[in-house]
Amino acid sequence: MTMNGEPPITLHPLVSKYLRKERMPHMACPGCGIGQIVHATLLAIDDLGMTPKDTVWVQGVGCSSRITYSTWVGDNIDSHHGRIFAVATGLKMARPDLNFILFTGDGDCGAIGGNHFIHACRRNLDVTAILFNNGIYGMTGGQVAPTSPVGAVTTTTPYGNIEDPFDMCQLAVAAGASYVARWTSTDFRPLIHSIKKGIQTRGLAFIEVLVQCPTNFGRYVLKTSESKEVIKWIKDHSINMKEAEKLSSEELKGKYLLGEFIHRTDRLGIVDRYQEFLKKFKKE
Amino acid sequence: MPSGVKPGKYFIQGDEAIAEGAIAAGCRYFAGYPITPSSETSEALARRLPEVGGVCMQMEDELASIHSVAAASVAGLKAMTISSGPGISLKLEGLGWGIKNEIPLVVADVQRAGPSNGVATRVGQGDFYTVRYGSAGGNHCLIALSPKSTQEAFDLTIECFNLAEIFRCPVFLLTDETVGHTRELLVIPEESQLKIVERIKPTVSPEEFHMYPLDTPGVIHYPFPNIGEGYGICVSPYTHTSKGYASTAQEIQEKMARRLVFKITRNLDQLVRVETQYIEDATFMVVAYGGNARPAMAAVEMSREKGMKVGFFRPIIVWPFPDGEVLKIAEKAKTTLVCELNVDGQLSREVDRAAKGKTEVYHLGSGGVEPHLPSQIFNEIRRLYR
Repeated sequence: MTMNGEPPITLHPLVSKYLRKERMPHMACPGCGIGQIVHATLLAIDDLGMTPKDTVWVQGVGCSSRITYSTWVGDNIDSHHGRIFAVATGLKMARPDLNFILFTGDGDCGAIGGNHFIHACRRNLDVTAILFNNGIYGMTGGQVAPTSPVGAVTTTTPYGNIEDPFDMCQLAVAAGASYVARWTSTDFRPLIHSIKKGIQTRGLAFIEVLVQCPTNFGRYVLKTSESKEVIKWIKDHSINMKEAEKLSSEELKGKYLLGEFIHRTDRLGIVDRYQEFLKKFKKE
Repeated sequence: MPSGVKPGKYFIQGDEAIAEGAIAAGCRYFAGYPITPSSETSEALARRLPEVGGVCMQMEDELASIHSVAAASVAGLKAMTISSGPGISLKLEGLGWGIKNEIPLVVADVQRAGPSNGVATRVGQGDFYTVRYGSAGGNHCLIALSPKSTQEAFDLTIECFNLAEIFRCPVFLLTDETVGHTRELLVIPEESQLKIVERIKPTVSPEEFHMYPLDTPGVIHYPFPNIGEGYGICVSPYTHTSKGYASTAQEIQEKMARRLVFKITRNLDQLVRVETQYIEDATFMVVAYGGNARPAMAAVEMSREKGMKVGFFRPIIVWPFPDGEVLKIAEKAKTTLVCELNVDGQLSREVDRAAKGKTEVYHLGSGGVEPHLPSQIFNEIRRLYR
């Protein structure tokens, strides 16, 4: 039953198959892009034939997590703010046979959980982490994030942000993740493809998605409540890697590179390494 | 996985005995961050866990270690972490996640002299209230056991794991540097003589199963399903319904808070563990816990040799505090002397509360670094004895 007592709408077949009906309607704001990312994730899961018994969703704290939490029909493990990679480490090391899909945010992964993220990449933890980057703290009402652009007016930078944003993909590449890519929420097909590739990768797969937040990024940074205006801003401020090669560093200033940053096949993940290590003890 | 119990007699440190106790209890996941005086446990488990097919991780910090331990437990492995002083301050964050989601796990705290970094290599007993009340938000109860010897470090570690499974909650082993670094005899019995509690799995269907028994707050030994078995468990930091769905309803918050407290307070009879000596005719009582209980007991023996009617009381379970047992001794003794390695008076405050004015409670404190000397305690007994 919907809030106004209207008859329930027909659920999308992917929702019926993979999400909990009792958790619908979801709690995303109107115009939010998180549904697009969940949609792409479910299509990837469906394409790969994954099931609620072999796949666990793991969340942190923030819009990325609060909106997706306890919607997956399988197990949902939601961590404290920033501890998603620490929690995922315990889960994956204890149950290497299961797939873990992580939904994290730019505050969760880039600020309070930054250290865990770096070390998960260093260990090359065999999980698929999807970063929902909306450039702002959405759940708490529009505070500056480590991913907010320079000059951004937010509730905690009323005179404009003076700090440079983090490039989370470059960080993941430098720290050793096997697979790293960035897309916008409207790059639907590349995103599905990327999530599938990430799930199939041994080691850590990190996929950043630039996602529109009209409620807070729109309101405070862009002075708009229109989702399409925020999407337009993201489009104007991002560029495909191949096209970027033709531009000077001055022209690329303030632009997000889109595409695959790295796909290492020569670096074992921690799960493979640990299994190999344990063999030493089985012989005795 | 192999049992890993190695029966025999050992001359080892308390910290190493914790590791052997953990292996015997079935611990198969450990994550830690090096910190004195607890690192010997991490080192011992780094050697021992791979032998039994377990996982030993040195994490990037204390937060990561406790969160990964709690997660490994959610994933079906008995798990523990260990720390001291400033590391325990950090561990408290993850502890809340464990408490809230009723996750069995064990945290050992090898207390050192504080506050802050204090004296890393020397003893203190300042975390008595930290382990009980440190996790913000209240609305919980907590179990903590405290060993006085290497043997008890082994025995009580096993008991911590058992209680964690029975009560589905984090359990502290509240030890200290004296016990952690004392080398003495440890006897590891045959595996058949050990009582090990295993995790119970649900017998009802996923639809009928409720992860959190909010409507029966006093129930213990409640099942914990594995992930990946179709139960679709929901674990989160938010106040939740019995299915684990986040809720802001006052009724749900009330039920959850009551569940987290009552599952322990309604089962106190299963938890009381104290040691008493010479209490029958005692008019003067000496109270101490952990490593400091040993000089306290020595001082009681010295007093008895002088014909003084002095008794000894040691809480082995320090949380929930054994109020009833303290009241019993308080009714016998005119005077009670509490000896502990902090100057602010932690155990003594708790004894005073539980004694309900039946005895006069004195505090013999020390900032730590050295444990009390038996002669120090004996002199204080003589000064107060009437």
